[in-house]
Amino acid sequence: MLKISAVILQNLLRNKAIFGYLVLLCFTGWGMFLYESQPEKAVLSILQIVLLVLPLITLIFTTTYYYHSQEFLFLLLAQPIKRSDIFAGLYIGLAIAFLAVFFIGIGLPVLLFASGMQSLFLLLSGLLLNLVFIAIALLVGVGVHDKSRGIGVTLITWAFFAFIYNGLVIFMMYQLSDYPIENLILVLSFLNPVDIARIMVIMKSEASALLGLSGAVFQDFFGTAKGGVVSILALILWSIIPFWITHKMFRKRDL
Amino acid sequence: MIDIQNLQKYYSRQCVLSEVNLTYTRGQSIALIGPNGSGKTTLIKILLGLAIPDTGNIYVNQNDITKGHEYRRSIGYMPQITRFPEQLNVKQLFSLMRQLRTDVPGNNYDASLYEELSIPTFEEKRLGTLSGGMKQQVSAALAFYFNPSILILDEPTAALDPVSNEILKVKIRSAIDNNKLIITTSHILSDLEEIANHVTYLMEGKILFNDTMDRLRTETSENTLNKMVVSLLQQEIQHA
Repeated sequence: MLKISAVILQNLLRNKAIFGYLVLLCFTGWGMFLYESQPEKAVLSILQIVLLVLPLITLIFTTTYYYHSQEFLFLLLAQPIKRSDIFAGLYIGLAIAFLAVFFIGIGLPVLLFASGMQSLFLLLSGLLLNLVFIAIALLVGVGVHDKSRGIGVTLITWAFFAFIYNGLVIFMMYQLSDYPIENLILVLSFLNPVDIARIMVIMKSEASALLGLSGAVFQDFFGTAKGGVVSILALILWSIIPFWITHKMFRKRDL
Repeated sequence: MIDIQNLQKYYSRQCVLSEVNLTYTRGQSIALIGPNGSGKTTLIKILLGLAIPDTGNIYVNQNDITKGHEYRRSIGYMPQITRFPEQLNVKQLFSLMRQLRTDVPGNNYDASLYEELSIPTFEEKRLGTLSGGMKQQVSAALAFYFNPSILILDEPTAALDPVSNEILKVKIRSAIDNNKLIITTSHILSDLEEIANHVTYLMEGKILFNDTMDRLRTETSENTLNKMVVSLLQQEIQHA
């Protein structure tokens, strides 16, 4: 399994798209701190990039990579190797590559220029978002046979988590603004990994004071240590569940 | 060596293989032929565990292939198209495969095809830069490399130059003499008749005929595989 990861990783590290992604993240991570004198603000700007760009690139790259390496996977599958080992190897290889890029581009500058809880949560949520979206992308890749349809599905998935879901929630909040729905909103925000990451980081920053009434409920929950642990656990679940489904699917599927 | 009982396979609702019963033994060299879409590749994929049968049992060396992956140790597979990881060179690919195949002891590799196809002359080249024919050569050498007792070759000669083609055929014939089982699909029947001693003809997912080359020859009183197939197909049409 680890040998397969090593090959995948070797393959990925020479990939031009991964390199471009690294350059982009370096510009964001390192550049933001050079440009912005207040590290707290820089962290929030980086957060926006992490929440929008990271899922998009992780999703599209991973699905494309999966389709592209299918023939090689065939070759491996024809060997006496367990299917689940091949799948886990693929996932681990992708995860190491993406996490390394994230660490160099965002992790290092954040650790150097802005220490504190907020930065720690930014890194933690970025790390988990990587794992979540690699798992979701592989789910799409394995689940949808046709390449162009698969890429389409990933784009829709990204749009859904990045803004469609929020739009729906806000619409609902306006419609139900006469009712005490704060707790419902709290639950709903757990159904979107991007939201979990966003709220988790913002609650650790001073910007959370701007969030108004439902902000107070959020602060009560996410601001506490318990809330932090619960949201991290939620993100972990968000990566484990798609991985587990895909893993099951990959084992029992015609390829 | 291979025993297929009552195999059925559907893709969504379309039946691609039905009531396939086959028994292949050592020393046989099977020409698996049939028109496009007749289920040859699906059958091969099922044997390799790439596709899952809907019903029926398949045993390779008495091992049920749906239980465990160990049975694939005895199979060497040469796919129709191979896309290798582009950044590896040929040497690295073989070393990777050796690492993955810990079940094969270190001195038990069969590098004869590797040498004969003069792969050493381009073994430092990256796989991404190889031509289609060169990839096919690599793929052939890899299929034989771990001394499998069963060889599954999917369109092995399609992209090969005449010299490599002959080398591969010699290798296949020696494998038959060594009592291995070989399954080859191809549309180039003249290539097949030099290496096969048994013919399985699939049509629309069913076995139309499955017999030794010699018997088909006497039955049809034709000499070339091409003519034998045509004559058998005509008989079938008349029966129907």
